[in-house]
Amino acid sequence: MSEPVLRLDGLTKRFGGLTAVDRVSLSFAPGTLHAVIGPNGAGKTTLFNLISGLLPADGGRIFFRGRDITGLKPHEVSRLGIKRTLQVKSVFPRLSVAENLWITAQAKQRFLNPLRSAGRYRETREKVERTLDQIGLAALASRAAGTLSYGDVALLEIGMAIISDPELLLLDEPICGMSPAETERAVEKIRALALEVDIIIIEHDMQVVFGLASDITVMAQGGVLASGTPQQIAEDERVREAYLGRPEDEDYVEEEAHA
Amino acid sequence: MITRARVERVLFLAFAAFMLAVPWLVPALTNPFWVDVIAEILIWSLFAASVNLLFGYVGLLSFGQALYFGFGMYGVAIATTDLGLSFWPAFIFGILAAVVMAWVTGIFAVRLTWHYFAIITVVFSLIFYFLALSMKWLTGGDDGISFTLPPTFSIGGTSLSFTSATFQYFFILATVSLCFYLKYRLIESPLGKAFMAIRDNDVRASLIGLNTYRIRLVAFLIAGFLAGVSGALFAFFGRYASATYMFYQVSGEGVVWAIVGGAGTLLGPIVGTSLFIVIRELVSTHWEHHSLIVGVMAILVVIFAPRGIVGLWRDSLGRVFEPHGRPAEYELRTEP
Repeated sequence: MSEPVLRLDGLTKRFGGLTAVDRVSLSFAPGTLHAVIGPNGAGKTTLFNLISGLLPADGGRIFFRGRDITGLKPHEVSRLGIKRTLQVKSVFPRLSVAENLWITAQAKQRFLNPLRSAGRYRETREKVERTLDQIGLAALASRAAGTLSYGDVALLEIGMAIISDPELLLLDEPICGMSPAETERAVEKIRALALEVDIIIIEHDMQVVFGLASDITVMAQGGVLASGTPQQIAEDERVREAYLGRPEDEDYVEEEAHA
Repeated sequence: MITRARVERVLFLAFAAFMLAVPWLVPALTNPFWVDVIAEILIWSLFAASVNLLFGYVGLLSFGQALYFGFGMYGVAIATTDLGLSFWPAFIFGILAAVVMAWVTGIFAVRLTWHYFAIITVVFSLIFYFLALSMKWLTGGDDGISFTLPPTFSIGGTSLSFTSATFQYFFILATVSLCFYLKYRLIESPLGKAFMAIRDNDVRASLIGLNTYRIRLVAFLIAGFLAGVSGALFAFFGRYASATYMFYQVSGEGVVWAIVGGAGTLLGPIVGTSLFIVIRELVSTHWEHHSLIVGVMAILVVIFAPRGIVGLWRDSLGRVFEPHGRPAEYELRTEP
């Protein structure tokens, strides 16, 4: 087996008395779309926050392509090619759609020229135009991102992920809050993206997860409950009991509705 | 066709023509002392621009910019009196003093944001205000330092200096214009876009790979530079430096000018500063409580026109020329 793109070794995060992420050891194989699921409070987003450097870990280590990245700052992690989206859709609201993409593409430059006009970076501009076409937001390029509909913001987020040339993409509930039509569009984009980039996705919509992912990890109460192929997960007794089997869980109800 | 961009360009050219004609036009129309008032407005506009760069473009509200203004001022005064430097070295010395001070304080200040940042900038400026008051041997304490103006240029036997009101005006106009031009270039540049990205969403900015600490520090240094230039100019203009200009009330005025004019707009600080200094000049001779007007206007603008006078103006232009265009106001959407 080739070297994992991301390896977590006993990763731990405590908030006061609560252990949000509890000695998580996971390996993410390259060339896969890996979904992380689990009930609310299972520690999925905290896991992403640890990987992307937004939170310092209390224990354990993170390896990206064999390199120890534990303790790096968010911008350092980002410059290695690990990009992420946030659960609460999060763009630059007063910048235009095109500017959002522009600064995302340009951000990896160490030197940000203070005097050259941003419009004169031809390569970046062309990249922005390509990405606008790719995500279907070309018509809204000059709109302030804060005035977009929720689904369009989510598409912009995906565009920002694409334009940053990621090597590993962490998507935190990318389709949360989307209409069925928007969901379909976004899932298509993610599927196309997964052909080029390794993706780890947190998602609640079971139909989407089982339709997209080649590997699934189930988290519960900060720990890893099970990890395997979609089929293994669907058949796993512990998963059924702890996660899918609880009738009051809204994800369960959702899954039933889709079934 | 009349478009919004053309209207704005014509207005800008008219404004530029007026500024160039001030030394002849103003004495012809009214009391010549208004030439000096306009020069003073230019200097303080640059100070407001320093606040605006931090607040309007990087999202850091500094209540301590007077510190760097004061350092620019004292730098010039100390350089000309104690060090015996001529005009240009003294000018540069003043600006450098402000930038170095911004660097020393910025290292600590930009680790914080929002109210913590506002508080630490006030604290720094108060510390140095009281230090300046007590270090009489260097700063002259309450009395400040008065100095004799060195000539700006001397070629052969002739020299040009601030003693000529017209030269003084044009020197200030040229320096302030150059700084505003640099700020304009900055805003349009990659670094400027990074500033605005951090202003809008600093967590996201760090996730796309921007070093938010370093970029905020750079912004703080540039703001210190702008405040330093305005302080140095003001020292030459008044032939005087005093700790009173380092007091936080001066910082607060800069904040009010920038916000009322329009934070996050290039020319907002000029509009806000002009408005309040003209009001001060017109009203203060008749009524000592003119700052009440300032307060009421600041409150009204913050509540009814959060993007200031320039924002109001843009919105109304937008309604005239693009009635069905994009909305000028945006909403923050954080949840579905």
